Amino acid sequence: MAHYKILGQDPYWMNFYGLMILTFIEVAAVGLDLSEFAADYDTTEKVLTLWILTFIAIPKFIMIAAIFMHLYGDADSGILTLTALFPAFFIIVMVLFVGLTHPDAATSLPAWCRPGYYEF
Amino acid sequence: MSGDYDHDYHTPEPWGPHDWGHGAPHNSFSPIFLSIGIAIFLFAMAEAWSYGTYNPGNIPMILLGLLVIGFALFIWWRQDLSFDGHYEPLATGVPFRGVQIRKVGVWVFLMSEMMVFTSLFSTYMRYRLGIENCGTVFDRGMFDPATNPTGWQEGVAVTCFEPASHLIASSWWHLAPGAINTFALILSSFTIVQALRYAKMPDLDDEARRKKVYRYLGATWFLACLFLTLKMIEWFIGFYVPEISAIGLHEHDIISLVDEGYTINADHYQHHSYVDEATGAHMVANIQVSASLFYVTTGTHGAHVAGGIIGLSYMTFKAWKGLYTPNNAVSIEYFGLYWHFVDLVWVLVFPFFYLY
Repeated sequence: MAHYKILGQDPYWMNFYGLMILTFIEVAAVGLDLSEFAADYDTTEKVLTLWILTFIAIPKFIMIAAIFMHLYGDADSGILTLTALFPAFFIIVMVLFVGLTHPDAATSLPAWCRPGYYEF
Repeated sequence: MSGDYDHDYHTPEPWGPHDWGHGAPHNSFSPIFLSIGIAIFLFAMAEAWSYGTYNPGNIPMILLGLLVIGFALFIWWRQDLSFDGHYEPLATGVPFRGVQIRKVGVWVFLMSEMMVFTSLFSTYMRYRLGIENCGTVFDRGMFDPATNPTGWQEGVAVTCFEPASHLIASSWWHLAPGAINTFALILSSFTIVQALRYAKMPDLDDEARRKKVYRYLGATWFLACLFLTLKMIEWFIGFYVPEISAIGLHEHDIISLVDEGYTINADHYQHHSYVDEATGAHMVANIQVSASLFYVTTGTHGAHVAGGIIGLSYMTFKAWKGLYTPNNAVSIEYFGLYWHFVDLVWVLVFPFFYLY
């Protein structure tokens, strides 16, 4: 169990409030018309929404893992965090080499990345 | 291990319940029966739908598999019900020295779960980025050999990626089941932590602990059931929005994804917005890849929630019987790790499958 406080308050309640607020922002980011903001940043509304959703998902992920799953603040938090991060290497391999490849990845490589390019 | 070697000559009962005063049991029949039950169930399920053909003759084998699984869980629970917190084994070797072995075991299990969901996510990314979006294809306009040779033609299905979010995020009402589910899962993560907190609280009398723990576990169970119910509504049933003129609400139906035609075998799917205004022509699409990815990923997550409901049913019963004490409350913590992981996955599934 947590033996610390967040802003002087119970960490579980604070985490719960924080997650709720972030989820409201997530839903609002999809429901509201952000086309004008997107135009200001020279991008499309869909891309802006994706960035917002990604940036919100990261702290939500950390908040649940650190506080609800006790990967922060307990005596065994350090070693269990390392255990939880162990698959990260495989996840990076899978995401980068499977998720981000395209059917035409080999043929669409830039010239400097193809065989026969030997300029130094 | 903490006292795990303090066995006397007592022979533990492999069918449970177990007398924990004589040491931890190592001879439970539960794991072998669980493995056999799962094997029967999965083989029978695989045979039941062979190459798209439904074979009802396999139903008895499916039921037999479920029966064996249920029997194995029954043995497991008979042994766990009597667990009073003694002989919680601690790791002695590096790097987990002093950490409960069962806790490490749950984390190793969660690592394998991470790989399962990562494979689903990377597949999603691969196809989402590798197949042209149906909206992009539609925006190119209708085919014309002279002016628009890459356009779509009426009646000719285009293979493209149609994210479920195109339907789900099209209105607040369509989004409602998924959004409520997100809040329900976060709330359930909180309620199970509260159950653990009160179960571990040493200065609480037994009756107060019993009430607090079973109410919080019961609330978690209810929220998990709500999650699956809303998922069924979203996928198969849909719902009715009544007329409330005071707030400007008009009567209408929210159609389920399946009734919208968003299915894993949809090779002539037509979204209501894929209509050419000038000619009234409809663009039809083969969306089997995108729909399969959506249903497999969210379905795998839903299966984890369903598994959680089974565990929560037992735990709520155990809490109602007043069998949780500060000594054996770690069971709630271990299950809680699994449940938070299910919430964690949803944190990623919701934005990328429902919103984007």
